[in-house]
Amino acid sequence: MSTTVKPKAMIQDNTRCIGCRACMVACKSWNDRPEDHTDFFAGEGYQNPRGLDANNYTLITFNEIVTGAQPDWVFGRQLCMHCEHPACASACPTTAMFKTDLGPVVFDESRCIGCRACMQACPFIIPKYDYENFAPKIHKCTFCADRLEANLEPACATVCPTGAISFGDREDMVAEAKRRIAAAPGTYIPEIYGLEEVGGTSVLHLSSVPFEQIGYITGLPKTPMPDLTHRWLRTTAPVFAFLYAVFGALNWIVRRRMRHQKGEGEHT
Amino acid sequence: MNWSIRLTWWDKLLLTIMAVGAVFGFVRFATGIGSIANINNAYPWGWWVGYGIMTMIAVGGVGFTITALVEILGVHRYHSFVRPAVLMAFLCYASAITMLMVELGRPWMVWMVLVSWAPTSALYEVGWCAFLYLTVLALEFAQVPLEQAGWGRTLRIVRAIYIPIMILGVTLSHLHQSSLGTLMTLIPHKINVLWWSDNLPLLYLFSAMMAGPAMAILEHLAAARWLGFAPRMELLGGLARIECWLVGLFLAFQMGDLFYRGAADAMFIASWFAVSFWVEIGFGLLLPFVLLMMPEARESRFGLAWACALIIGGILLHRLNVAVIGLRVRHWETYFPSIGEVAITLAITAAALFAFGWLARILPIHEELPSPETRPHAATHPAGVLRGAEGVS
Repeated sequence: MSTTVKPKAMIQDNTRCIGCRACMVACKSWNDRPEDHTDFFAGEGYQNPRGLDANNYTLITFNEIVTGAQPDWVFGRQLCMHCEHPACASACPTTAMFKTDLGPVVFDESRCIGCRACMQACPFIIPKYDYENFAPKIHKCTFCADRLEANLEPACATVCPTGAISFGDREDMVAEAKRRIAAAPGTYIPEIYGLEEVGGTSVLHLSSVPFEQIGYITGLPKTPMPDLTHRWLRTTAPVFAFLYAVFGALNWIVRRRMRHQKGEGEHT
Repeated sequence: MNWSIRLTWWDKLLLTIMAVGAVFGFVRFATGIGSIANINNAYPWGWWVGYGIMTMIAVGGVGFTITALVEILGVHRYHSFVRPAVLMAFLCYASAITMLMVELGRPWMVWMVLVSWAPTSALYEVGWCAFLYLTVLALEFAQVPLEQAGWGRTLRIVRAIYIPIMILGVTLSHLHQSSLGTLMTLIPHKINVLWWSDNLPLLYLFSAMMAGPAMAILEHLAAARWLGFAPRMELLGGLARIECWLVGLFLAFQMGDLFYRGAADAMFIASWFAVSFWVEIGFGLLLPFVLLMMPEARESRFGLAWACALIIGGILLHRLNVAVIGLRVRHWETYFPSIGEVAITLAITAAALFAFGWLARILPIHEELPSPETRPHAATHPAGVLRGAEGVS
């Protein structure tokens, strides 16, 4: 690995997705996740399973969208977005969750206390937990960080038969996503999901329909989520010093007043 | 000293609740969280965090509120409330930490917080502050058993460090009561607009302050009734007036914040969120505020007990609304606490109450009661922890 590490990114081009779910199989295979028993459910989204869980790090969503005269399948994909400024990592009290130089946001189970703050913090609702285990772990897409270290692409990117998943340096991927939208404005909506969401992510989604129609969480701020807590947390040390000084001074005045009262009481 | 007490019916009731919870606790540790709890991937924090940790810590705010009132603001007429308040705070924090040990997926790794450096994490600050503050509370309270046991030298050390330790305790409380709120500022998109605010740290801090006099009043009334002394109504009336101010100011702050954020419309949208919000505001703030404004209520045990219980209930609902009820994730995912979750929290609370009742009978916690063992110096000094202050000066 060269010393100048360029952060990586992935394009998930939903317009090229045919819903074969090879990425889900490759993901399960590489991450050694077991099969699940699934049930049919009523309501929007016909994918299987319905959402991500401890055994499914990525999911193709099946969305029935009426385009023109008849309904059509439009696919979307859920996986960890590997934020540039990950909320999960900022929330972790033991730095068990952290972002590597190459881009993946990864989980070190040897540091985890199981507080699940990362699950609560994630704006994309990605980290999952295996509550059934005695020593549970956080489960989520790793961006195949182990493969990236070995100069391999993420497992999902290697198996996609239609080229819906592209992988490379983030700057190249951003340029490529913009190029695709510019080249085929009729195919794509002019939006790259992940370019600016929560300050930018390492997964960039493209779509033919608005993202909220295919199950994406929209309306997220364009600024990094950790800014919200940083505003308060950075004041910790000065506030501590200030309050200690104020309380100390007040207590000193109070005790001085008490001594005086006691003294006067003795004289009279 | 004599450690034994005669068990009364409420001791036995509390022991029964503890035994039931212990069974569920055993199952949880034998077979994992999933076997007894309904917390899930959408609601990773349920009743355990909402009640067992967040509410317990808020209610434990009684320690720093009463200590600050007496030792820092110098309102000494309430000094007899300090010892019960410090003991209550200690037991609340001990309960929260016990809860944490049940709630964490890997409780045996909890020490990792203390060897990590994670200044971006609100939970890191909460963890450190709670750990330090529990130590502070133990040191503050230590003089009571040390006095009783007659360990003179240790007692002198504990008294000598009392003032800086006490100020440290009040400071730490301000920091971590608010950082519990900071924790929740991270998820504006998940928490309903009625509760998510940039000012959550202040809302959490102020509501913990509001819990202080309410808990002190409730404790005094309960102790008066079950330990058998006449409640000092003139002092309770004074605390109730302070509480009335705190509730009024909190109500104004919460509403002001809501309007300032432009989220006030959400109060009038027919939804379960709005219902939960109005229950929180109506029963947890407005009703007790009105009650505490009435001299008749402030002068009656019944009125005081109701007003304070409503305030504590309102704080519980506020914490649940922020961390559980107000959360909006994938619409098909739901959460309702299981019997096992509730049983374990009740057992921990019962244990704290039992411990309080036991200690209140073997140690000089309430100066209204004759000392458990006749000690000549016990009668000449006020029973508040304040005694340490005089020792230094």
